[in-house]
Amino acid sequence: MRHILLTLVILIGLSGSVFAETIHTTVNGMVCAFCATGIEKTFRKQPEVATVKVDLHTKLVTITTKSGKTLSDEKIKEVVTYSGYTMGKIVRAK
Amino acid sequence: MKTKTFLTLLFAIFTGVFAGEAKPLSYVGGTMVMQENDETGHTIALDYTFRPTEAFGIYIKQEESGKDILMLTPEINTLLKRWNLPDGQGNIFNMSGAGVANYRGNNQPCLWTAFLADYETRRWFFSYEPRLVYAGDIESSFWQRAYAGFAPYLANYDDLNTWLLIRLDHHPAKNDHFVVTPVLRFFYKTIWVEVGYSSNNHVMVNWTVQF
Repeated sequence: MRHILLTLVILIGLSGSVFAETIHTTVNGMVCAFCATGIEKTFRKQPEVATVKVDLHTKLVTITTKSGKTLSDEKIKEVVTYSGYTMGKIVRAK
Repeated sequence: MKTKTFLTLLFAIFTGVFAGEAKPLSYVGGTMVMQENDETGHTIALDYTFRPTEAFGIYIKQEESGKDILMLTPEINTLLKRWNLPDGQGNIFNMSGAGVANYRGNNQPCLWTAFLADYETRRWFFSYEPRLVYAGDIESSFWQRAYAGFAPYLANYDDLNTWLLIRLDHHPAKNDHFVVTPVLRFFYKTIWVEVGYSSNNHVMVNWTVQF
């Protein structure tokens, strides 16, 4: 029984690292399609990123990472700043 | 004339009549082709953005109005200041070039510099651009341009964006000092097109592609 519980705990622990992560961040200054393209393309260049979606109505960028990968808040801020914009709030979901 | 020009410039700045056009920078690693065909002539620029605040490229302009001046210059576009706001964005750019101007076989060194100030939200757009050109005894001129307009509907990233604008050009050196052009602007992701018809009866077609 103890072995089964231990195995479950290890599997649950490992499973977190193989799931993709969905990250939402608001971007100040993103008001047009040209702005959004720059942000989208710069995020797509990151090796951890699988998909990027932009919503101009909500100024929200949704990033899905590749399985087992993540992007730190600092990295997201760096990408947004490098694209010429200012990062707002970050919300993460597994 | 100089005093009049200066006063007009001040008027444009202090009445908030900013002018604008496509931004002269894209994202790092991005290339832009910009082409303008209007009452001042034909312009083509090819720019590569190598830093978040700088792009380098080539600028070619053929002036009309019977002058047939051809200018060819490398150019550098610099983002001097950006304000990123929750619902808007403001910018000040400088664009400058140095090269050669040709007029009927006469070649002269050519210098030009322009500042572009813009402010846009998803609904409103304003910009103002003063430009100085010096090409020896071929041309020495100052002109300024302003745009003001709005989006009749708020389009999302994957939609066709449409803008209705008014463009005001002030060219003290040309026959028509003030030219007004109602403009219809469209853009879809990285393709930007604007068309208009000026008060001195010229068709305007400008486009920009970013890749």
